[in-house]
Amino acid sequence: MHEAMTCLYCQFPEALSAGLLVSAVCALLGVFVILKRAVFIGITLSEVATCGVAASFLLGIPPLAGSLALVLASVSLLAIPFEKQRIPRDTLMGIMFIAASALSILLVSKSGPGLMEVNAVLYGDLILSSQKELYSLLALLVPALLLFLIFLRPILYSFIDREAARVLGIKTWIWESLYFLMLGVVISATSQIAGALLVFCYLVVCPATALILSKRIKWVLLIAPIAGMLATFFGMVISFEHDLPTNQTICIVSCMLFGIAAAVSWIYQKLIPTIQPH
Amino acid sequence: MSGSIITCEDVCVAYGRTEVLHKVNLEIPEGIFLPFTGPNGSGKTSLLRAILGLIPIRKGQIHTPFQQNTAGYVPQHKVIDPLFPVSVQQIVGMGLYPKRRRFRPLSSEQRAAVESALAMLDMAEHADKTFRELSGGMKQKVLIARALVSEPDVIIMDEPTSELDEQSEQEVLGHLLKLNRQQGKTVLIAHHDLELMRMLTSSMCQVRHGKASIVPIKNGGEVHA
Repeated sequence: MHEAMTCLYCQFPEALSAGLLVSAVCALLGVFVILKRAVFIGITLSEVATCGVAASFLLGIPPLAGSLALVLASVSLLAIPFEKQRIPRDTLMGIMFIAASALSILLVSKSGPGLMEVNAVLYGDLILSSQKELYSLLALLVPALLLFLIFLRPILYSFIDREAARVLGIKTWIWESLYFLMLGVVISATSQIAGALLVFCYLVVCPATALILSKRIKWVLLIAPIAGMLATFFGMVISFEHDLPTNQTICIVSCMLFGIAAAVSWIYQKLIPTIQPH
Repeated sequence: MSGSIITCEDVCVAYGRTEVLHKVNLEIPEGIFLPFTGPNGSGKTSLLRAILGLIPIRKGQIHTPFQQNTAGYVPQHKVIDPLFPVSVQQIVGMGLYPKRRRFRPLSSEQRAAVESALAMLDMAEHADKTFRELSGGMKQKVLIARALVSEPDVIIMDEPTSELDEQSEQEVLGHLLKLNRQQGKTVLIAHHDLELMRMLTSSMCQVRHGKASIVPIKNGGEVHA
């Protein structure tokens, strides 16, 4: 195990750094995806980002530009107030997910480069991350992370109780839009490197682990990225040692961490009444 | 009481094609304890929400001091999703948002204000609990504490005691009356119990058929139309 760790760090420093960065930022933003009960938005935007990459191949533009444009357009569409519409927002997300998934395949079948090459870019493989990709991740994810942390309080209050926040003078539509804009940028930047499945895993499984372990928002926001980074590190080590696909191994390790957290939480809750003094 | 603190001029509010408030004209005096009464669906909640700027008005104008001093507000429904891992203390602390500095935790004075608001409603011992761990009545008390913590000049409450037992309801209304009489706070409160409101104040805002007017109450409990 120790040898695998050393080899991983020596041979794939960019992949390890990119993985840790992507997992931390996605897991942090994912806390609000879960609290907003909008888990489906994670996989929908990941698929839309993938579709944007596929379209970029056909149009001959940079993949990041294509995925960013399509994801931001989708976020704008989802930002429309749905309270008075005949269909709920979830349904539109479902339609977008189906369209993006199918269109990605259709676009790939008509694109110039070889299918293997396009598939590698479409579905991503963290272990193949290059230095250039790491720099582009740093350029997009670090500002998004800083914005999120700087404006955490108004974003949190807007999500906890939108009406009360508005009465308190908080421009809730600005903070909600900013959050979903950051989410869109992060998903489009990470999807082509980490792949839709792994990004979805970071957005849902790692925050869920944190929410199982703590009932304090500050701890949840700290545990979620740590859980993501732990899963990434051990997932990469295991995949390196046993020659397994990296993304899927990280996903399984994340789910195992969630399982352990759920078991620990359950045992703790069962034990607490016996520990409490009479 | 001095001049008007809130003025509604020909205010119309509609949901789609259904107009719920039609040309409402109101001058709400500063320092009044004003119950909003009327049958279900008469537009009480819509009027209070329009005053707070939470729903758009189709026509007319509403003048409020809320740009400078935010109101304390208790909504009709408990709108906080119990999924949020936030403590009672954090929810009440939210009411101090306009007075807080960015990045800074609550100051010692602000923490004392939160504790005092919770103690006033007998909720001090529940400060560390999360919202989901509370009963319906306790949740309502937390929202009342959040509305009062910043000591706002105007307090607007929409059926704030609907889930409280009789004793808690009397305590909450007693606190509101005290704030009104001793500190001159303006209290607007939608309440279903007309008889109870008649005992507490000398005038009320009747909302019926899309119209609203402030009417005095006789000592005997009769309302002057």
